[in-house]
Amino acid sequence: MRRVNASPLAVRVGLLLTTVLFGALFLASPTLAQNESAAGTSDVVKAALVALGYYLSNSPFLAGNGGFFGLYRPLVAGFFVGVIFGDPVKGAEIGAAINVLYLGFISAGGSIPADPSVAGWVGTALALGGGLDAQAAIALGVAVGLLGTIVFFTRMSVDATFAHVADAAAERGDITGVARANWLWPQIFLFIISFVPAFLAVYFGSAAVSDGITWLNTNAPWVLRGFEIAGGLLPAIGIALNMRFIFRGTVWPYFFIGFVMAAASNGGLNIVTIGVIGIALAALHVFLIGDRAERAMQPRGA
Amino acid sequence: MTTESGGMTDRTPVKLDRSDVRRAFWLWTFFSHANYNYERLQGTAFAHAMTPIIRKLYKDPEEIKAALKRHLVFFNTEPNVGGVIHGAVIAMEEQRANGADIDDDAINSVKSGLMGPLAGVGDTIDQGTITPILLSLGIGIAAGSAAPGDGNPIGALIYLVAEVAVMTALAYFFWFQGYDRGREGVTSLLRSGALDRLVTGAGALGNLVLGALAFQFVHVFVTVSLIVGDGHFELAKLLAQIMPGILPLLFTLLTWYLLTRRRVSAIWLLVIYLVVAMVGAFPFFAGSAVDPTTQCPSILHEFYQPECIPAATPAP
Repeated sequence: MRRVNASPLAVRVGLLLTTVLFGALFLASPTLAQNESAAGTSDVVKAALVALGYYLSNSPFLAGNGGFFGLYRPLVAGFFVGVIFGDPVKGAEIGAAINVLYLGFISAGGSIPADPSVAGWVGTALALGGGLDAQAAIALGVAVGLLGTIVFFTRMSVDATFAHVADAAAERGDITGVARANWLWPQIFLFIISFVPAFLAVYFGSAAVSDGITWLNTNAPWVLRGFEIAGGLLPAIGIALNMRFIFRGTVWPYFFIGFVMAAASNGGLNIVTIGVIGIALAALHVFLIGDRAERAMQPRGA
Repeated sequence: MTTESGGMTDRTPVKLDRSDVRRAFWLWTFFSHANYNYERLQGTAFAHAMTPIIRKLYKDPEEIKAALKRHLVFFNTEPNVGGVIHGAVIAMEEQRANGADIDDDAINSVKSGLMGPLAGVGDTIDQGTITPILLSLGIGIAAGSAAPGDGNPIGALIYLVAEVAVMTALAYFFWFQGYDRGREGVTSLLRSGALDRLVTGAGALGNLVLGALAFQFVHVFVTVSLIVGDGHFELAKLLAQIMPGILPLLFTLLTWYLLTRRRVSAIWLLVIYLVVAMVGAFPFFAGSAVDPTTQCPSILHEFYQPECIPAATPAP
């Protein structure tokens, strides 16, 4: 029962999967890109890779943070989907545009307003397959992202079962059993409920989106125009959601400084430059107000 | 010390190695959300992370059973900053295994007492500040300007590498802070105000970057014209003369106001904005319809980027 070194199996499997999958994606990217221009990678393979990426973004196997703080974000997802579809530039552009909507995304206490990972992986794949540009893709990403919450809520409900599996293992004093109840069984379940729908959505959805866009373009072009207008409005929600957390206390004036810096230079100051100025101003702010920094330990809320 | 506490007198001292604590750290970093569920949230993940510690400290099957059950209860915090709790709990388990008078209640109260505050601080630092700042940088690079095709996908990789490195380093730091300082040290760390200064500085930087991002990504289209005599004044151009970007700025502030002060849910706002965009795009009058040949409408233009936005291109 007490097997020495049995527990790190989970970590070893995780590290192995991380290395193999990231390595495979990077190694395969030039090949995939070339195949696209030459013969065209099989749609089944593309859909499977997108679905796998979506599963991994919700899995713990990429050093934990590489999932939730990495592949889960539409920016990163869009880039990898772009690699899979042979157009990393456009993929990253679409992912970046979708991601603005989720800038304020915060998952706290097991409730999420939408699922950025579905919007990023499936949304970018459908937009690339359907020939949408970045701004119009935002609305598509939103719709898919809302559907994605179904997977999240299913998982949150069903996974409680595995907590009872862990209880039973603890009752036997089975350390390895407790570990497996945490990392193995829930992941098999998650793979089934995330990979399968994502694969089907990408495999069958691309053609449908493409047909739909063609139809709209000839019959109701104003709908596409509406998507683009929405693409300009919706990012305000993502930004405002994030402002809930930081647009307060003594630091809110910096929001206006940042906006005016960007507006006055009309794109002349890029975001890295603004970031460096921001670090300098943030340091000054902390030096000057010193211990009067607001209490972060206070409960959150408006 | 206490001879009554269940035959704990004759045990040989067990000391955790740094590598045991590190092994627990990696188990937690990988698997904190592997079995995230409504009933216990990160409960099974906490027990999972403690398995190398339990294996090392306890040899008696009854003690193993008790330790596993002790750590399978409800637990939820921010996984990176919150690791300070695990560090402190590991230190407590080590003392307990060596005969110190630390009962289940003491361990439970540290876990349940700290997990809430640290979830607040951790989410503010991790998800509320560091992530959007790094995302903003990555998005800014990857999206490029408004024209399609001039983005640089390296922005996505820069974000990925920087984010994972920062988060993991932060988590490692807090984990060992907890273990080295122990229960009292963690409490004094939280009281010292160092975290407050970190959150404040991050907030200043975050606001600045977010403001710049609002200008880059929020676009408000206005089509109203004022006709005074022979003059034809487009409202958008008039507003742009007052201040470039005034409409996106006001619109973002309005959204923030609706979300925080009016408590309108984000989902509702999504729906409302989509409907407004669709209504705005609908050609109510034949004369103002979008010209499908040029895709360059007469009624819709962005006031600070007068050239019309390229329409969605149909699939080839």
